[in-house]
Amino acid sequence: MPEQPYEPDRAIAGTGAGGAMDLAASEAQTLEKTPGGPEGTGPQAKPRSLWSDAWRDLRRNPVFLVSALVILFLVFISLWPSAIASGSPLKCDLSKAQDGPGPGAPFGYDGQGCNVYTRTVYGARTSVTVGVCATLGVALLGSVLGGLAGFFGGVWDSLLSRTTDIFFAIPVVLGGLVLLSVVTSNTVWPVIGFMVLLGWPQISRIARGSVITARQNDYVQAARALGASNSRILLRHIAPNAVAPVIVVATIALGTYIALEATLSYLGVGLKPPSVSWGIDISAASPYIRNAPHALLWPSGALAVTVLAFIMLGDAVRDALDPKLR
Amino acid sequence: MLLEVRDLHVEFRTRDGVAKAVNGVSYGVDAGETLAVLGESGSGKSVTAQAVMGILDMPPGRITGGEVFFQGKDVLKLKEEERRRLRGYGMAMIFQDALSALNPVLSVGDQLGEMFVVHRRMSKKDARAKAVELMDRVRIPGAAERVRDYPHQFSGGMRQRIMIAMALALEPALIIADEPTTALDVTVQAQVMDLLAELQREYHMGLILITHDLGVVADVADRIAVMYAGKIVESAPVHDIYKSPAHPYTRGLLDSIPRLDQKGQELYAIKGLPPNLMNIPPGCAFHPRCPMAQDVCRTDVPPLYEVSEERGSACHFWRECLHG
Amino acid sequence: MGRYVVRRLLQMIPVFIGATLLIFLMVNVMGDPIAGLCGERACDPATAAQLEKEFGLDKPVWQQYLTYMGNVFTGDFGTAFNGQPVTELMATAFPVTIRLTVVAILFEIVIGITLGVVTGLRRGRPVDTGVLLTTLVVISVPTFVTGLLLQLLLGVQWGWIKPSVSPDAAFGELIVPGLVLASVSLAYVTRLTRTSIAENRRSDYVRTAIAKGLPRGRVITRHLLRNSLIPVVTFIGADIGALMGGAIVTERIFNIHGVGYQLYQGIVRQNTQTVVGFVTVLVLVFLVANLLVDLLYAVLDPRIRYA
Repeated sequence: MPEQPYEPDRAIAGTGAGGAMDLAASEAQTLEKTPGGPEGTGPQAKPRSLWSDAWRDLRRNPVFLVSALVILFLVFISLWPSAIASGSPLKCDLSKAQDGPGPGAPFGYDGQGCNVYTRTVYGARTSVTVGVCATLGVALLGSVLGGLAGFFGGVWDSLLSRTTDIFFAIPVVLGGLVLLSVVTSNTVWPVIGFMVLLGWPQISRIARGSVITARQNDYVQAARALGASNSRILLRHIAPNAVAPVIVVATIALGTYIALEATLSYLGVGLKPPSVSWGIDISAASPYIRNAPHALLWPSGALAVTVLAFIMLGDAVRDALDPKLR
Repeated sequence: MLLEVRDLHVEFRTRDGVAKAVNGVSYGVDAGETLAVLGESGSGKSVTAQAVMGILDMPPGRITGGEVFFQGKDVLKLKEEERRRLRGYGMAMIFQDALSALNPVLSVGDQLGEMFVVHRRMSKKDARAKAVELMDRVRIPGAAERVRDYPHQFSGGMRQRIMIAMALALEPALIIADEPTTALDVTVQAQVMDLLAELQREYHMGLILITHDLGVVADVADRIAVMYAGKIVESAPVHDIYKSPAHPYTRGLLDSIPRLDQKGQELYAIKGLPPNLMNIPPGCAFHPRCPMAQDVCRTDVPPLYEVSEERGSACHFWRECLHG
Repeated sequence: MGRYVVRRLLQMIPVFIGATLLIFLMVNVMGDPIAGLCGERACDPATAAQLEKEFGLDKPVWQQYLTYMGNVFTGDFGTAFNGQPVTELMATAFPVTIRLTVVAILFEIVIGITLGVVTGLRRGRPVDTGVLLTTLVVISVPTFVTGLLLQLLLGVQWGWIKPSVSPDAAFGELIVPGLVLASVSLAYVTRLTRTSIAENRRSDYVRTAIAKGLPRGRVITRHLLRNSLIPVVTFIGADIGALMGGAIVTERIFNIHGVGYQLYQGIVRQNTQTVVGFVTVLVLVFLVANLLVDLLYAVLDPRIRYA
């Protein structure tokens, strides 16, 4: 996982995205002042200029374009795998076990005689589903809890900080082994549930840090002095500024969740056969590593490219949102 | 002349274009003399100083022309190693914000003593004793105990004294002070400035005082060089300038100092913004903001006209300015 | 400084209790703690009831937790599936994993910091871009894939190493597994060092150091490195706990009989005592490592020390 400062107080200072946001927010403020539009449009004009600036940067960034293309392709084959792969990933022919590439099987066959190409294509669906759902859950839960704790402070904040400390003390893979080893359901949902359970503290720290930073901004103080309600301040003034670091960290986390699902499946506690997952395929191929390395390499490659695409996308978005690096 | 800068050009190459920070600056300082370099931020006064010291970030910075004579030698032609030996030993620099300019994780004693360890090959113990001596000299109370303290444990004024002590350590011939009092409280400013002036007299050093504050300059400077858009627009002995400026920009600066006898009147401000260094206006760079601008100012770059033997002004209408 | 240590120690207590309680609940409530005790078959109801009484499983969970923690603090971690005391398993497993972690940390320090410094000082040059891309790839490839690929290449194809590690697990055998375990953190250390160096290189105090006429080497080691490495040291220290907990994958690939291996066996055989015991120790290691990092931080950065 990305650099996580252990001490929560240090997390406010923000090594990565938190500090970036500080700057992004202050730049957004100056951008707001220059147009000098009529009252009321200010708060909307502020995030828009930050985002449109970032978007202009991103469109010119080859790293962003390549990773976005890869991700679009992945989403496409998760929705319609049959568009590029014929046959079922579960149809295996033991007589072809460990065979090299053949007609209709450009990647060859694995130890059970299953078509590696078909299984690799169908494996994308599992990874993308787990990644997207886990990230949505983590981002939602984490930013709500972290945001509220950062905004209201006091007891809630201490309670949240100590709770996140507890979760950080549990090694992720280990927690997954313990929790998922007793689950009998062979769907993606327990895996996603586990990731949300153990993943939210990461986002909540980021959200908390950026909310605290945003809360100290002059325009928030001004809004408060003018008697704006808590919910108005939170939604109109703080949320737009706090959301960017959450998006950056969540994008990178999406990649790590995909890797985590594969790891858990490799260890035999994530998804189990007959589910189709790159982790399962890699695990199944490892005993035949000597005779049929292709059965290991293709799903491994697909997994690496997928994770890489999300991490690079997150990196590119962070660069775009961080004026310091321009 | 102790230091003579001749026709210095510096530019910065960035992703958005080339910023021409210094465009033909010439000035000189004698031993025991104080030259104040005055200008808004972005006028090139600090960049010139950094080029003289040899601490310019290159890249993105680039010296594209000119010479810098120090004690008779063109330092721009020296090898990096010779250049390095000159720094701290021949010329030293005092920076604006001592809190960030001092290393936060080393004690002030270590940072002061380092000068002697590196340049004089002293033992750590002797260097430490020298550090205490220096701290005494810049009048830091309890120097012997405080030598082990870290920069953040000192007040702003005391930190700036440490910066001064560090610059003074090897008794260099030239000190460049880049806005040495800007970050300080007004009351402390005067103390630090007085200390600096006193030490300069004592050691008979040349001092270049970079500032944007005309008020600071009046008491300590011998000469003033006013910079705008990377050029010197007026250069004169300090009293001449205060009596009657020969450039509308200098006049604007003087008029924007709050004065007790003008209480209740609106304070003057030079209209407009400093120029974009990527796109400096043609002709006289100051013309878009100048109340006296004529057509010629928009097309012809004014040379540094000789106003008197000791005085120059880069304004086509310096006569009108001087008498008007 | 003394008060700071005490405060940090006190802060550790609720985290320790919370984390162990969480694991305890996961294992006891969600799993079936006696499932593994009757061999392969399910226990018959009478035996089950008797076993539950024997292990105090009929009592409320919080009471079970207190009893367990009480035992742990007297050095009794219970019995593993094969009748061995859990402490005996720990005595054989922890030295192996500690050796593995030491190798991994050494890789992080030597390779990670070196690469970070080199790229941080040459930002934007080809070396920098190359290393940066490599770290991205390393971060993206999950550890188990890296491990399997290295095993395939070095162990099977080229025959440089034995594909699986002997039960002794000497340092020499742990070099490649240590590199695999370190790989992702290694990439992070490189990136962190690089960013830190590149940021501090433009700092005012480095400019001061240059203006003082210090030789380049001294500017870099004494001024730039000292400051830039503070966050890196913090990361590496905090990583000790994470590496020991994450060794499970690496140990499985190279068949190393360390903590991860024992834990995996405990989980597969549903042996509560083994799992909770090992995780408790790991959590403790994590917390102590973090405490040490905080103290180290205070030593390295005087601004924290006197705060």
